Amino acid sequence: MKFLESAPRFLFFTGKGGVGKTSIACATAIQLAEAGRRVLLVSTDPASNVGQVLGIEIGNKITAVPAVPRLIALEIDAEAAAQAYRDRIVGPVRGKLPDAVVKGIEEQLSGACTTEIAAFDEFTALLTDAEITLAYDHVVFDTAPTGHTIRLLQLPVAWSGFLEAGKGDASCLGPLAGLEKQRAQYNAAVQALADGQRTRLILVARAQNSALREAARTHGELAAIGLTRQFLIVNGLLPKEEAAVDPLAAAIYAREQAALAAMPNVLRALPRDDVPLKPFNLVGLDALRQLLAETTPQLETAGWEPVDLRAPSLSDLVDDIAVEGHGLVMLMGKGGVGKTTLAAAVAVELARRGLPVHLTTSDPAAHLAETLHGSMAHLTVSRIDPHAETERYRQEVLKTKGAHLDTQGRALLEEDLRSPCTEEIAVFQAFSRIIREAGEKFVVMDTAPTGHTLLLLDATGAYHREVARMLDAKGAHYTTPMMQLQDSKRTKVLLVTLAETTPVLEAANLQADLRRAGIEPWAWVINNSVAAARPHAPLLRKRAQNELAEVEKVATAHARRYAVVPLLQEEPVGVDRLLKLAAPITEPA
Amino acid sequence: MMTIKVFDPALCCSTGVCGVDTDQALVTFAADVDWAKKNGAQIERFNLAQQPMAFADNATVKGFLERSGQEALPLILVDGDIALAGRYPDRTELARWAGVKEPVEAAQGSCCGGSPCC
Repeated sequence: MKFLESAPRFLFFTGKGGVGKTSIACATAIQLAEAGRRVLLVSTDPASNVGQVLGIEIGNKITAVPAVPRLIALEIDAEAAAQAYRDRIVGPVRGKLPDAVVKGIEEQLSGACTTEIAAFDEFTALLTDAEITLAYDHVVFDTAPTGHTIRLLQLPVAWSGFLEAGKGDASCLGPLAGLEKQRAQYNAAVQALADGQRTRLILVARAQNSALREAARTHGELAAIGLTRQFLIVNGLLPKEEAAVDPLAAAIYAREQAALAAMPNVLRALPRDDVPLKPFNLVGLDALRQLLAETTPQLETAGWEPVDLRAPSLSDLVDDIAVEGHGLVMLMGKGGVGKTTLAAAVAVELARRGLPVHLTTSDPAAHLAETLHGSMAHLTVSRIDPHAETERYRQEVLKTKGAHLDTQGRALLEEDLRSPCTEEIAVFQAFSRIIREAGEKFVVMDTAPTGHTLLLLDATGAYHREVARMLDAKGAHYTTPMMQLQDSKRTKVLLVTLAETTPVLEAANLQADLRRAGIEPWAWVINNSVAAARPHAPLLRKRAQNELAEVEKVATAHARRYAVVPLLQEEPVGVDRLLKLAAPITEPA
Repeated sequence: MMTIKVFDPALCCSTGVCGVDTDQALVTFAADVDWAKKNGAQIERFNLAQQPMAFADNATVKGFLERSGQEALPLILVDGDIALAGRYPDRTELARWAGVKEPVEAAQGSCCGGSPCC
């Protein structure tokens, strides 16, 4: 493996949920420790399952892994760190300020930003505090800081002004205000991250177009702030031998190879390792020891039973959606779970029943919009470009609100407009214009605002409350977008996930966020299910079996209603193939 | 020199652009504070979401919050006394309180705060 050659002191693994970065980070740590190095393995993932993968209890403290000498593990609990931060801020004023005020403060500090920065605060200590890390030759992190976090810490004007004044009146630093203790520590951490002698960043992806595009985006973001020393791991590649066994495996193999061939150029330039899909579950030390081995063990062709998954199909959900005759359907979920495809599948299935549908997508590739446009009766398609919307929003604010400012004032405003919140707000505003149509037809959206944005809308509530107050005064009837989203008669939120541990946990977190914003998700959709595809190839059967526990969790613990969508042989593009996604789960012909 | 203390509502940032609808008053005020400080004014801002202790520790501010609630913010104290509540001061008011001389070309309502339009 190239990424292991002359490994530096700090190794970071980054990639979206479900690509297998935890397994790879654990396998790396084990390999280094068994080569005689002293290794600290750190997870900063809110949904960390390092302990589960290693088969031990870890938690928020330094824990030796008994079976591997020289390996120590630590799970930084970002939620707990954020809670501690909130308590630090709010605790002293509880009972001193009115309860309503205290509650408002807590809500304001419940955003994703607080969690992210609290976690960053914890691990900058590990990057810079010699006392903790001196004992180790390598520190392996299973989650890298995002470009957004590092950029926040680097905002030059805001940061220095803020700290020199020792006050909270700087720029959009938000939750950093309570973490002002160590400017030198943040500086040193950012420097350590940018130093290729000390730090190596490993992007983990799957051989899928969307995953590789996302890896390319992360690459660009991190390179732009000086983290240029990067490696790429393509994980979970289906071995060629499998392709001979059944048509689904053959199709997956061909699709993965095509995705690799079409990989963005920036990724092609990076040193790359391919890790084949393994015929065993990646839990426990024995499995992890083999993950990065150069030789693949021989596949057993027998022994894995076919799975018999019985679950509702997307078509069953659409039956219930169709009853109202109109309304808003929003698909929410993390990047890469297939929101766009499923939005199109729901839209096509509704239109097939003769119902009027407007599908609106923010898919950057936009090939769905191209494929579908005008090709089906009752269906119209429109596209929202998040980057264009964000730029338009920024220019609009600068032109209107910033019109009378002097150069200095404009610079301040421009800097605040670089806040990551602006994209979500801009996209939400674009969607708000379309939402109104849902009174007379179906409006299906693939990129909905996240729970965090909705919370922002609700908690700060500027728009919603302003409108309510003005119209209440006039005695008028009105509906704000927020009220529409909270009304389950008008809006159905579909949470999209994959049947894997991390994506299910992430979807559950999103559900909790939505509930806090007063929105109850209507259903969960498990996408790309291997189990629902009922494969014959042994490796795929094994994966199908691993999925069953996750499907069970969704069905019993998380969702009010759910559906399972099978992994298809062909890329689900075009009306006919999209209709297949909604079809009931059956044995393939 | 008078000390000006501004007690903001719970904001994510001083210009408020992180919120759903950017408030012109916040944008303008952030720029005015920046300007006044550069001209020697002593101004401190306290964000309710980030420094609630500053609110609780000040008897005037605490009493104000108990009587009028957080909806009545912002509150501006000049040398400890309530000078303004419920809205942000403009540049002229800031300049007067701080004893800063306001240059004519940067005055409020001028079209060209350093821009090439005039």
